Amino acid sequence: MPYDAMDELSDESLLVRYAGGDAVAARVLMARLAPWVLAQATRRLGIRAEAEDVTQEAMLRLWKVAPRWEPGSARVSTWLYRVVANLCTDRQRRTRGVALSAVAEPVDPAAGVEERMQDDARAEALRAALARLPARQREAVELRHIDGLANPEIAEIMDTGIEAVESLIARGKRALAADLTQRKDELGYTDGGQ
Amino acid sequence: MAGNDDQRDLDVFFEAARERTPDPSAALLARIAADADATQAGFRVRAHARRSSGRLRQFLDALGGWPAAAGLAAATLAGMWIGFDPPGDLQAWARDSLDQVQNAHVIDIMPGTGLDLIGEASL
Repeated sequence: MPYDAMDELSDESLLVRYAGGDAVAARVLMARLAPWVLAQATRRLGIRAEAEDVTQEAMLRLWKVAPRWEPGSARVSTWLYRVVANLCTDRQRRTRGVALSAVAEPVDPAAGVEERMQDDARAEALRAALARLPARQREAVELRHIDGLANPEIAEIMDTGIEAVESLIARGKRALAADLTQRKDELGYTDGGQ
Repeated sequence: MAGNDDQRDLDVFFEAARERTPDPSAALLARIAADADATQAGFRVRAHARRSSGRLRQFLDALGGWPAAAGLAAATLAGMWIGFDPPGDLQAWARDSLDQVQNAHVIDIMPGTGLDLIGEASL
């Protein structure tokens, strides 16, 4: 099957095809999942090189589990999210308190320097505020508002109910708003990003 | 619950965080693809091993399972051993037995057809 046609298949179908010997399926899965995994790992670890290592390791575990994957048992994204979370936790235990300056910043050439600096400052302020939240609240807020997942999928990932997810997100956002208010003027908090 | 203003304000931060998300480098993607190919090659090797194992099992089942195969192997080894290094008693027994057979008897029950039955043949 050509690459473009595979783009419409689910992650689970692609994984089964990969296990059956389809090399193109691996490329489609990689293009779909690697950016998401890297984003998660970068947010958690703050260091690009570490996040890349975690991304490679998480994807390797996905390749290895492919022949034993049972269709309908779980979503690939759910399984992968947990793997990434565990790998990041292991690394955080080993390397506490690393410098955030080590993070490689993506550069948007279209954005002005001042705007980019403000975006970076906001992103960094959010990262710091998220880090101060209880772990479950932080996880729920990140999954909903940065990864853009729906609440049912978040509930599956976090192994809890949808109402509990809604509650975690609401409490997390209240705490974030209170935390970030303190840096309101510095970060252009209420100007809609302009 | 966070109010509408708070939500709008937080959206600015979430958007900044999403835009800050790095893209995987070409080098990282190459490493992931190489892992995928190497792992997939391992699946083929294991599948071949499983197929070979399946043929061996069919053969053993045809013989009657592992106990029958073990008996057959033991008999084969014993036969080879006796053939290469026969015990002295066995050679004496064989000589005595053959000495009792003095003649070869050819019974031609239908002389016209040329079909013969050979009863015993001396060596």
